[in-house]
Formats: sequence, structure tokens, C-alpha cells
Amino acid sequence: MMQCGWPLMGPLRWLHYLNKEVKVRAGKGEEHRGWLLSVDPVSASVVLVSFGEAVAVRVVMGHAVEAVEVLRAADDDETAKRLRSVFLPPPSPCLDPKELRQRRDAVRRWLQENRIPVEEEGEELKVAGVLTIAAPYSAHDCRSSNQIILDRIQRLIGIQDCTNQGLPL
Amino acid sequence: MATPVPVLRLPKGPDPNSRGFDPNSPRFIALCRTSISSSAASDTDSEQLQKEQDARSVLREGFLRCLLSMTNKKVQFQMYENVKVEATFGASDIDVLNFQVSDLHTPIGVQKEALIRCQDVISFTFDV
Repeated sequence: MMQCGWPLMGPLRWLHYLNKEVKVRAGKGEEHRGWLLSVDPVSASVVLVSFGEAVAVRVVMGHAVEAVEVLRAADDDETAKRLRSVFLPPPSPCLDPKELRQRRDAVRRWLQENRIPVEEEGEELKVAGVLTIAAPYSAHDCRSSNQIILDRIQRLIGIQDCTNQGLPL
Repeated sequence: MATPVPVLRLPKGPDPNSRGFDPNSPRFIALCRTSISSSAASDTDSEQLQKEQDARSVLREGFLRCLLSMTNKKVQFQMYENVKVEATFGASDIDVLNFQVSDLHTPIGVQKEALIRCQDVISFTFDV
């Protein structure tokens, strides 16, 4: 398998291709056009996005890349902003402060019932000093560098959410 | 009252002294000849290395978010020898060597669960 220089370029050079429209030649005569969103530093795979009826993503594996040609840069902030938001989760709907407070109290009480140390820190909940829960206090809003605690708390909150919605556990 | 969550015992993780991409591990040596390692520290000064590491994090995060958004979606894989297959994406391993997929549609039938070797794949596509 012929290897062109693409996988060997390195992260600093790949960074220059970000947010540019490129043409990638790959495999046996395949050609793909799209906005370059990222290049995986582990496999040199190229993530391309095209905006049509749907947002179509094509990833070309690093080992298959023959050539990458830059066509143009994202000429306006609109395109760059759109590219940055392709893979981000949709913004959560805003709850009013009273509902947020009730939700926060409910989550805090549930954790305390389960003998978990939890304190209020401003608008957030601090669990055992190592995990933070931000609004709207769902399992997805938990942040911690401790994997085990994160998993336990996410499951606990998940149980409460299922119970509230009458779903099977 | 619901039962408290049982204590999890996770399997032993990777060596805490490396970042999971240890080039001396047997797995890496056996499988990852084509994986790209960072520039040798002797070649570059520490400021350059820091810039390279920052670039790596940004790029890797972008790629991981792409993989995340692909989970449970239908993906079309373009493989070598003009083979095109469709499957529902499950997960990737850390070195992007294998993809775990479900409902893989092949010319000889539908495979409920399968591992696709990334070395066999040229490109793959999905709709967000």
C-alpha cells in the first residue's frame, strides 16, 4: 500500500487544513470534497462535512489518503461557526429559575437519601468534593475527573429520572 | 426507596504512567505499526512540543466528537476491492483499528454484530 506524506505531516501542519474546503483523493481513484473539520492525530483520518439537504459527514481513513488539496478557506464567520457546531449537542432548553431551584433541591435530597455528601455551590451541586452538577442537573450535566464516582452518580440520577417519568428502571 | 447503586469494580485501566498510547506495549507493537507517534522529544524544543500537544488535543477532540455523533446511526463503509457495506455504528477502539458495528449488511446476508477492521476501510459516511 503506497503511503503518501499525509500521515507523517503531524498535528501542527494538519491544523492548517482546519475549516478549509478540501478535495481528498483516496483509495483507488476516489475523490471527496468537503469542509475539513478535523484530522485524527492517532490515525490521520480526515473528517469532511458537506452541507446539503442534510449535514453529510465523510471520514477518510488516514492510511487511504493519497492527496489533500485545499480549495478555499471558510470565508465568513457563519461557515466557521456552523462547522464548529456540527458535532456539539443541541443547546438544552432553558428552564425558569424556580423550576431549576426545585430540580436542584430534588436532586440534592435524592443524593442525601442515598448517603452521598452533597453541598450547594452557587447554582451548582458539589458532590463529595470531586463532582460538579450544573443546571439542569441531569446525568449529562455531571462533571468529574473520577470515573467511578461519575458513573455511580450518573446512574443514581438516572434512577431518579426514570422513576419521575414512570419508566422501567 | 430504590436500592442504592452497587459498587463498581472496573477492570484495571491502562498503565497510569502513559497516556494510553504506549508505543512499547505488546498490543501497540503487534497492531499499530501504522499509528502515528508524536515527534521525538530530542528533535523539537519544549515549546514546539507543547504547541504540538495542544494541536493534538484539539484535533483528537474533534475526531472523538465525530465518533460520538456516529453512535447508533447508519453508516456506509467504502472498503477496498470496491466493497460497499452499511451498518449501524457502535464504537471504535482507542487506536482506530477496529469498529464495532451492528446489523452489517453484506452481500451474503445481515450480520447481527461484527468488527470491521479499519485497515480494510477507505472511507465511511453518515448523515448527522
